[in-house]
Amino acid sequence: MYNRTPHNGLYRPEFEHDSCGFGLIAQMDGVVSHSLVQSAIDSLARLTHRGAIAADGKTGDGCGLLIRKPDGFLRAVAAESDIKLEELYAAGVVFLNSDETLASRARDELNQQLANEGLTVAGWRVVPVNPSALGEQATRSQPQIEQIFVNGDADMDEVDFNRHLYFARRRTEKVLADDDSFFVTALSCHVISYKGLVMPARLPELFPDLGDPRFTSSICIYHQRFSTNTSPSWKLAQPFRYLAHNGEINTVQGNRFWAQARGSKFASPLFDNVDDILPVVNSGGSDSQSLDNMLDVLLSGGMDIFRAMQLMIPPAWQNDPHMGEDLRASHRYHSMISEPWDGPAGIVLTDGRYAACRTDRNGLRPARWVITTDRTITLASETGVIDYPPEQVLRKGRLKPGEMLAVDTWTGELLMPADIDRMLAQRHPYESWLKQHSHYLTDIDCAAKSQAEFGEGIHGDSLRTYEKFFNLTYEELTQVLRPLADNGQEATGSMGDDTPMAVLSRQVRSIYDYFRQSFAQVTNPPIDPLRENIVMSLTTNFGRFRNVFDEIPEHAAKVTTDTPVLSRRAFQQMQALDQLGLSAEMIDLHYRPLDDGSILQQVIEGICSRAEEAIRAGKTIIILSDRTLDREQIPVPALMATGAVHHHLTRLGIRGDAQVVVETGSARDPHQIATLIGFGATAVYPFLALAAVEQIAEGEQKDPQTACANYIKGINKALFKIMSKMGISTIASYRGAQLFEAVGLHDEVVNPCFEGVTSRISGSRFIDFENDQRHLARNAWKARKVVEQGGLLKYVHGGEYHAYNPDIVRALHGAVRTGEQRYYDEFASLVNHRPPATLRDLIGISNDQTPIPLSDVEPLEAIIQRFDSAGMSLGALSPEAHESLAIAMNRLGGRSNSGEGGESIDRYGNERTSKIKQVASGRFGVTPHYLVNAEVLQIKIAQGAKPGEGGQLPGDKVNDLIATLRYTRPGVTLISPPPHHDIYSIEDLAQLIFDLKQVNPEALVSVKLVAQAGIGTIAAGVAKAYADLITISGYDGGTAASPLTSVKYAGIPFEMGLAETHQTLRLNDLRDKVRIQADGGMKTGLDVIKAALLGAESFGFGTAPMVALGCKYLRICHLNNCATGVATQNDELRKAHYHGLPEMVETYFRFVIEETRQIMASLGISTMEALIGRTDLLHLLPGETDKQGHLDLSPVLAVDESAHGKPQFCSSPRNEPFDKGEKAEQMVNDTLEAIDNKLGGIFNYEVQNIDRSIGARISGEIAKRYGNLGMADCPITLKLRGTAGQSLGVWNAGGLNLELEGDANDYVGKGMAGGQLVLYPPRASLFKSHQTTIMGNTCLYGATGGTLYAAGLAGERFGVRNSGARAVVEGIGDHGCEYMTGGVVTVLGPTGINFGAGMTGGFAFVYEPEPEHADHGFETKVNHELVEIHRMDGRVGDSQTARYAAFLRDEITHFTAATGSDWGQEFLDNFAERLPGFWLIKPKISEFETMLEQVV
Amino acid sequence: MSVAKPDNNFKFLTSERSLDKQAAPDRVTHFNEIYVPFDEQSAADQSGRCLGCGNPYCEWKCPVHNFIPDWLALVEEGRLMEAAELSNRTNSLPEICGRICPQDRLCEGACTLNDGLGAVTIGSVEKYITDTALKQGWQPDLSDVVPTGKRMAIIGAGPAGLGCADILARNGVEAVVYDRYDEIGGLLMFGIPGFKLDKDVITLRRKVFENMGIKFQLNTEVGKDISMEQLLDKYDGVFLGMGTYKFVDGGFPGEGLPGVYPALPYLIGNVREQLSMGAADSPFIDMKDKNVLVLGGGDTAMDCNRTAIRQGARSVSCVYRRDEANMPGSRAELVNAKEEGVEFLWNRQPLEIVGDDKVEGLKVVRTELGPADLNGRRSPQPIPGSEEIIAADAVLVAFGFRPNPPHWLEQFGVEFHKDGRVKVQGTGSVGQTSNPRIFAGGDMSRGSDLVVTAVHDGRNAAYAFLDSMDL
Repeated sequence: MYNRTPHNGLYRPEFEHDSCGFGLIAQMDGVVSHSLVQSAIDSLARLTHRGAIAADGKTGDGCGLLIRKPDGFLRAVAAESDIKLEELYAAGVVFLNSDETLASRARDELNQQLANEGLTVAGWRVVPVNPSALGEQATRSQPQIEQIFVNGDADMDEVDFNRHLYFARRRTEKVLADDDSFFVTALSCHVISYKGLVMPARLPELFPDLGDPRFTSSICIYHQRFSTNTSPSWKLAQPFRYLAHNGEINTVQGNRFWAQARGSKFASPLFDNVDDILPVVNSGGSDSQSLDNMLDVLLSGGMDIFRAMQLMIPPAWQNDPHMGEDLRASHRYHSMISEPWDGPAGIVLTDGRYAACRTDRNGLRPARWVITTDRTITLASETGVIDYPPEQVLRKGRLKPGEMLAVDTWTGELLMPADIDRMLAQRHPYESWLKQHSHYLTDIDCAAKSQAEFGEGIHGDSLRTYEKFFNLTYEELTQVLRPLADNGQEATGSMGDDTPMAVLSRQVRSIYDYFRQSFAQVTNPPIDPLRENIVMSLTTNFGRFRNVFDEIPEHAAKVTTDTPVLSRRAFQQMQALDQLGLSAEMIDLHYRPLDDGSILQQVIEGICSRAEEAIRAGKTIIILSDRTLDREQIPVPALMATGAVHHHLTRLGIRGDAQVVVETGSARDPHQIATLIGFGATAVYPFLALAAVEQIAEGEQKDPQTACANYIKGINKALFKIMSKMGISTIASYRGAQLFEAVGLHDEVVNPCFEGVTSRISGSRFIDFENDQRHLARNAWKARKVVEQGGLLKYVHGGEYHAYNPDIVRALHGAVRTGEQRYYDEFASLVNHRPPATLRDLIGISNDQTPIPLSDVEPLEAIIQRFDSAGMSLGALSPEAHESLAIAMNRLGGRSNSGEGGESIDRYGNERTSKIKQVASGRFGVTPHYLVNAEVLQIKIAQGAKPGEGGQLPGDKVNDLIATLRYTRPGVTLISPPPHHDIYSIEDLAQLIFDLKQVNPEALVSVKLVAQAGIGTIAAGVAKAYADLITISGYDGGTAASPLTSVKYAGIPFEMGLAETHQTLRLNDLRDKVRIQADGGMKTGLDVIKAALLGAESFGFGTAPMVALGCKYLRICHLNNCATGVATQNDELRKAHYHGLPEMVETYFRFVIEETRQIMASLGISTMEALIGRTDLLHLLPGETDKQGHLDLSPVLAVDESAHGKPQFCSSPRNEPFDKGEKAEQMVNDTLEAIDNKLGGIFNYEVQNIDRSIGARISGEIAKRYGNLGMADCPITLKLRGTAGQSLGVWNAGGLNLELEGDANDYVGKGMAGGQLVLYPPRASLFKSHQTTIMGNTCLYGATGGTLYAAGLAGERFGVRNSGARAVVEGIGDHGCEYMTGGVVTVLGPTGINFGAGMTGGFAFVYEPEPEHADHGFETKVNHELVEIHRMDGRVGDSQTARYAAFLRDEITHFTAATGSDWGQEFLDNFAERLPGFWLIKPKISEFETMLEQVV
Repeated sequence: MSVAKPDNNFKFLTSERSLDKQAAPDRVTHFNEIYVPFDEQSAADQSGRCLGCGNPYCEWKCPVHNFIPDWLALVEEGRLMEAAELSNRTNSLPEICGRICPQDRLCEGACTLNDGLGAVTIGSVEKYITDTALKQGWQPDLSDVVPTGKRMAIIGAGPAGLGCADILARNGVEAVVYDRYDEIGGLLMFGIPGFKLDKDVITLRRKVFENMGIKFQLNTEVGKDISMEQLLDKYDGVFLGMGTYKFVDGGFPGEGLPGVYPALPYLIGNVREQLSMGAADSPFIDMKDKNVLVLGGGDTAMDCNRTAIRQGARSVSCVYRRDEANMPGSRAELVNAKEEGVEFLWNRQPLEIVGDDKVEGLKVVRTELGPADLNGRRSPQPIPGSEEIIAADAVLVAFGFRPNPPHWLEQFGVEFHKDGRVKVQGTGSVGQTSNPRIFAGGDMSRGSDLVVTAVHDGRNAAYAFLDSMDL
């Protein structure tokens, strides 16, 4: 079997992610047919582009079907195999090891376990398989595929039978845990599953059973997998036993832990022995599989699918203004039973009776459904996967965020979301249960009454002692805590982090510093915690967890707080909870150290035992405290204690019986508090931070209470930010999820305290931490020792090392200004001989190679082609600095990167152009013209300074030039969202890459990632998504304004990310398909050599060339006052104080490359190519400190034996997509003459959902010749019929009009710059257009111009980041016009919630007359932070109303004429009556007087 | 990483660097300080110009690494007492360094804004902080100092000795400072003219130190009035901060002529005259109505220039063998001297002082500059045939100083460099001499240098002593 996992490198199998296409088809009345199965298979094939294909070009990542049991077929084939089936029987496909001995053992075990459950194995049937359907990789790993038939006992009902099957299967799985191939797909009397590692089109070829006409069913769910994991696996193909999942469960680690922690709470009256099935959720496998495990146990335990889904994937009920109280109560009640499984999710599931679909709270995965006249429902990731004649379509729609839809094939009932909600709300009297049993912490009486009593009572000398004891520096006080105390806002910094990782440092660094926050990139989206705060919650409950299956009032016996960060008052109230039967046990974390060796580990074990005993004795709150200081004692680091106690209790299955509260002086900043919660703390009481904040307030003569409240508010916001980086919405799901990577911790620490967290290079041991704490304690009690000044953020003499310290900046300036080698040598020497500050400083290069003459080394001209400047936007940089960089790179022969924010047209085609054009989440200035003027198109997924976060260009930096380039107006604040709104999943990235390759087929597409654990896996996914280049950035970061804790605590060194990527791509035969670039703090030729040896073939430089241009590393880029004129838009600073010249950058790179060549000569290597991946030329250095000595960097240098002989670098000129876009090529052939000669014309095509990015190829051709709008006067019109694939009209240029009769999928008009898109339903349709979805999500994302008319409803995030397009549609989903900066959107019908979030330009009309419920009006759907709304009934001001009304009428007139919409006509016919039903939505900063002129 | 303060992020552009001084015609009539001190508002305004750089170049360049941006921020906020605590934490004589440090070569020279935008006038703010805080009654907070019972003798009440005593006092060690003069400060008191450093500043600082428990044994010369043996008997350690007093002569003919004076005795005589302290060993020399030539290009030469002007010299010319760009003295002092009427004769190397029985003139040869050495300084090359004689009534020689350690130190195992500097250990216990109980710092160990570096050495020697006592 292939499934050998290399353990010596950086890749880990748990880095698995998957995403995909999915669907469901069901005959609502349960009528079975073979054609239904056939339809499912066909539509699966129509989702091929959503899956991935392995390097062999044939092996898919897997696909499959989960089908209501085809009884007739199964009975027939059983009979053919002499298997006797009873009335009640089950059948299931089983994967067995290809080694027959192991297979036989597995069969015996399963037989035996089934027999033990009182079941009879009727027999085994070899499932016919056609191996020619398989690719090479799939064949290598192919299991034996057999079908088991099991007869039930006569007196069992179906539920009992399935439960016995479940128990037998679980026991077998546990016994056969060592057999990685063994897998029971689904074993049930209701459903059966066929799945395999094939591309969808080949599934029926693989399994001839599926083509058998006797194979009939009424329910079929299906799935096509795109795994970012590189080792495709048979058993991870979907669907699983009950469900198929599109998306990613971001919280899966926490969910797995909590499933374990609550082990005993899964006891069901139906389960004989719950221990037999524990753990109910496997810790390996994929997130989707874990989700299925949980569903499996819940359903087997007797829960129905509706309640199970409500528990696992609840909607965002906390902040929904329209939710009824009874339903809200039901959700709140269930939130007390389980944390959500959170993340992008479209789930289709079936138990054989119901066929259902559920979407996540944020609607991040599309689900479109169609009901036809034969009462069949089809639901899939895309519309158009089955071609129905228009006259057979009864209804169409989409699932909105947090909704569930189901059909009951027994009764024929269709359960729409509202029906299901009603059912859930009314199941029990949840409201009265809550009223009776639940409490809010704020209401609890406690001993302290006066405000004074809530003060921390730590002042003066005592405070100074605490500060020294817990290493709280002056810098932290003034730079970190003070902004929190003053403004409730985390401080911002820039220029990233140039200090060593904690393990490399010579300073005392806390254990928190060893953990790097996880962040979402590519496989799932981060959330915008500001603009989409509506989906987020920090609600924390105290109280004992109870049995999951009991739906009893006592679940509601919880005490709730709205934040896990406790004030003094809240902490005292919490200790007073014994009045409600919740009693606390205080455990002091201090101990007396011994002089000979560390006893820290034993002390931690003792703390765990005490916590366990306390819980056994009935305590329900464990307080871990380091508050009481003692001269003879030092504390266990609170984080170690927290993690250890959490894991200890989890392992015992009693974690759910108590809450863990941490009272600590060690946690003060948001990262520290998030780390405690992430490792299991229920709540944190940061007493020292609060005491310091009180002191800060006193110093400023402000109210200490307000300052403390501000501080907590600021931490709360930052917790939202940290959670949202991972795409997590609720603290309940974040808690214990361990979403960190440990960098530099020894296993002796990780195993007891942080078990399961990713930790790959070892490092500091208990003794190191103990020594540090003893050192702190010694000084703390010495009055003469002052509170340390700091140096972690800024350079302070004698403090932490900074890689861009003044010496280095000065030396670099000297080198580029004089051009003298001796100055560069001084610079290079300062860098190359610094105290170890990066991982590469502990890796040496070989010195025993035979050198070659320097003249034999390839010349600068060859090497420079591998050098890029890193993406820095015009906006971050001044235009002068931005152009200097471009000129320098172009003259040298490298490439510069535009960064986000567009580029002036007058730079195209000359030496000032950036050869790399960046596409970032804000899509500012991304037009077809921009895209065709590039050699490389870089999708910036994340940036080193703040991966997982968005950005903001403050209005005062947006001058005329920037406003023009970004298609907005000066002074308007511009927001870059945290996610790309068209990349919520890996297959979405593949789509964006396809979009870009369509508009500019010559360009290479690059994807910029930030190093983190699992990046190799992601990179493999990106390679399979057909990227040509992948940039791996380190944590270092540049000009971006970032919250301090993001600067410090996210991202890992590029060395680890690069090595992991290189190793993983090689393991999976993908290395030759994609180029890898390293980026992160590189300064010298030695850096280049080491990066190349670790696997990089190209090199990105950001900060160093900026410094060459005069940057002094002031870290004030975000304030627009850069005194060197490099990173400012201020005219005076740019004109009078910018002294940079392109020659300085050229000089710098010449020096670097010369140094590179010299080292190459010393290594005896003449070409860069021959360096790449030669880790044999690297060796580990011993390190200079104890901690450095404890590091083990060997995984960075490891080469897996299976990679021997495989390519070390990219050899393909480009990574061509599987989808050749043939229809688009045809269109170009047809229209090229009309384009070349500006003839215009009309062309007709049929389209299907597999025809993606239609129009982009032509727009690219137009833009190349005429720019964005140069052909607008003689347009080409494509008349399309059918269902368009994703990205219809993407990057549309003026001169191309698309008219579609049918419907479309996601991303219509994305990035359009001009032209017209018209969509209307087929003329023969039976449904009403204004009730029917005609296009999917994220339409007009980043559009800069053009018009879109659509007779129907659009999905979520319509007009997101629109900056110029005008659109008329008949209704839209949630988050409409989010981040919009220009254009006009007219909606002739209702919108979803959170309309206008982050909208700073343009305006919108929405038709929503007075609602039935006063509190359900449009007002409640608007995010009022930046916009104001006005009724179009005269209140706008007479003359203004009339002008806007006339404009609105014109819009509707054009729309109706273009689409023929009946709904539009109704508005025109009754315009005067309808007008007052409209709202006008405008940014608060815009003026009525000028707004209209600006958009027209 | 600074917190956005939108209201004043651009203060460095909207407010100017300011360093007000009296007009030259007024200031040459007296020996008082010439700079106009800040008031609260102007100090806050100037401090607000600080960018709070991520790389505080000022702090990096400062020999004692003052936390400059931090105390500038405190001054901006009007938190004077906190600023004073912080400023005095890293520097024992901040109000003095604020006056006499060559800021243009140190903090202000390194200031990010010193690139066309005008450096923050750090020195003036530094001076403002402690001056004003002392006026308002501030004293270093020693309330929590626990006496250690240890004692240290300090020889020399100059910047090094005072720096050492300061740290000892703050750490519970009894510090007794011996000096042969009748006031503390060493050259601060007597060598530096009052127009640069008002002598009241020294006497006030003496009070501060005395309040901190530092004892001064003045008019006491070690080796004469009290022996080293006695000190080593009585104290746990001895710190040597005796400076460099042996002046460098030019080595050319005519230096012995009447009317030729070494710089230091001249300056000391003048200060003592101003303070009416009596001549001691340096008699008052008056340049009134004389044509004066000053030889040298360092700060001592500038002090001589400006003292002679104030004494009413008819003319003062400063002769230096390199050009203006390559002179070692402070730029600010050069400007002050020029404003006050000093003429500078660059690129002239003295060859001989001519005159029969008294000075009549100076024979010089013109020079041109050769290539720069690795320190960036270019060496002068005489141009043959360009000799000339400049007429003069008096010549002040300011060529610098060499160490002149007392010979008896050798008996105690203290070792010396060839040039006479005391050897001290490098890392670990900086300041310790070859005798583990004897420490040294300042000009005595590093050679003639700045006040602030002497302070730095004295402080480090104190830390080294504390370490050696395991305190």
